[in-house]
Amino acid sequence: MTTLLIALVVGAVLFAVGLYGALSQTNLVMIMMGVELMLGAAMVNLVAFWRFLHPGAFSGQFFVLVVMTVMAIEADVGFGLGTGRFRAKGSVEMEEAAELKG
Amino acid sequence: MIWQPLAVAFFGGIAVWFGVAVFRTRSMVRSALSLLASMAAIGGMFLAMEAEFLGVLQLMMMATEMAIMAVFMVMYMMDPGGLGQMDMSHQKRSSLAAGALGGLAALGVALLVDWGPIAPAAPTAGEQTRALGIEMMTRSLMIFETAAVTILVAMIAAVAVAIGRRR
Amino acid sequence: MTTVALTLVLLVGAYLVAVLEGWTATGRFRPAAPLVAGLALFGRESLVPRRADRILFETAPVLLLVSAVLAAAVLPLAPDLVVVDLATGALFVNAAWAYVMVALVMAGWGPNGAYAMVAGWRFLGQLVAYAMLIVMPIATVGMRAESLAMTAIVRSQESWWNAATQPLGFVLFLLAAMAVAFLPPFDLPTAPGELAEGVAGEYTGVRLAVFRLARLVLVVTLAAAVAVFYLGGWLGPGLPPWVWSAVKTLAVAAAMLGAGRFVPRIRTEHLLEWTWKLGIPLALMNILWVALTLWLGDR
Repeated sequence: MTTLLIALVVGAVLFAVGLYGALSQTNLVMIMMGVELMLGAAMVNLVAFWRFLHPGAFSGQFFVLVVMTVMAIEADVGFGLGTGRFRAKGSVEMEEAAELKG
Repeated sequence: MIWQPLAVAFFGGIAVWFGVAVFRTRSMVRSALSLLASMAAIGGMFLAMEAEFLGVLQLMMMATEMAIMAVFMVMYMMDPGGLGQMDMSHQKRSSLAAGALGGLAALGVALLVDWGPIAPAAPTAGEQTRALGIEMMTRSLMIFETAAVTILVAMIAAVAVAIGRRR
Repeated sequence: MTTVALTLVLLVGAYLVAVLEGWTATGRFRPAAPLVAGLALFGRESLVPRRADRILFETAPVLLLVSAVLAAAVLPLAPDLVVVDLATGALFVNAAWAYVMVALVMAGWGPNGAYAMVAGWRFLGQLVAYAMLIVMPIATVGMRAESLAMTAIVRSQESWWNAATQPLGFVLFLLAAMAVAFLPPFDLPTAPGELAEGVAGEYTGVRLAVFRLARLVLVVTLAAAVAVFYLGGWLGPGLPPWVWSAVKTLAVAAAMLGAGRFVPRIRTEHLLEWTWKLGIPLALMNILWVALTLWLGDR
């Protein structure tokens, strides 16, 4: 029980740090880092639940694989959009992107 | 097994430490590499929790992903070395409050719910890899194929956006 | 005990690869040269560039050595001579080699120098080129063995070596292994004539000795991995198993060091073009070929 609780607490703290980062940063890349931290926290929780509650059900591990895939997709599309924005405007500061026009 | 809680706590502490360091450092490459260290510590936690395939996969993928993030930071940010003194954040107090609230909610759920009986042992690593493969190819085949096609579409879309218009 | 023996074997292997590298580069066989050069480096002064990123600068050579040693920890010399026989060993070596790239990016950014930085980011482009070509042949080797454990992969080659049944994968893996260790013609990060030794250029004294030792250990682990995955590891008639492993590893290392000297350095854009437009379709065809042969062989 203790190891499960330790893992869940770590997941909660990582999620809090990621949420703070995603909300407080102005740059697109830093916001994405916050989101990656939150997804990492979710993965920690998933593996903890898999190992300590249902080690025979491998759909838990598969969920983690899907989350890793989603992290890769999100980083990919995010950087593609960031490249487009940089080409159009010269910066990826999200403060300047508040109005989508232009 | 006394080593397991210690290992999970050790790697968890490293993950949290580097996760906080991501947003406290001014150098952008250090920030990306701190995130890599945090993700690698998460991979260590997976290994400590006997999910060997996932741990190794996490270590491998995050090395590449975070290095790519580092190069994008160097490309797009104004002060990648962090030698200037600009503060690149906004709404600090409300985001601190939101982060603390989210963390407390997750902590509450973690500590107050009765999780039921703890399973004593996990399958060995060889059985796990085999079972994961069979699971991927039978029950979760549809999800996996959808994810694969989504990644391919995302790659093509990102390249199309980044290639720019022909003049 | 096994760990100590294998560490000594690794150091002896690094020394032999250094002698081989000197032989292929200069044409003269000088067995004392690596030891003399290493000792001399310890005696030279250690300079740190002005306004270098100290953490990254110091960590990079150590991380390179650690990643090479971690990769060597799962490679078997004989059925019972392996430090850790991980069930996902084939994937673990790949994870360890990924940190070679992290170390070189750190070594590129840390010294706060233009040539080092260009070399470091060029290696990231090189990683984008070789990453798929390293992983896909490992997948086919695992398909034949029906396991990712290194000892199982060697045992699956008791009838025919993988180099004979999967020649395309063998060639691709060998080339990708040369790119991981940034050997010529893939030596963009340390382009000797162009970038003044690139990522290694700002390192002097002890740190340079660690960097060079790490690179030699990396070449040893890559050659050993090629031998394990494609040349049957310790299998062979007559001699004891560990002798066969050593012979195959040294032969592969000699091939990697010698063959590249005849081709000019490949530019980043050409490397990316060739690997993604030709290499990856070939790797996918290799997977299809192996799948068909395994399926038809089972029937």
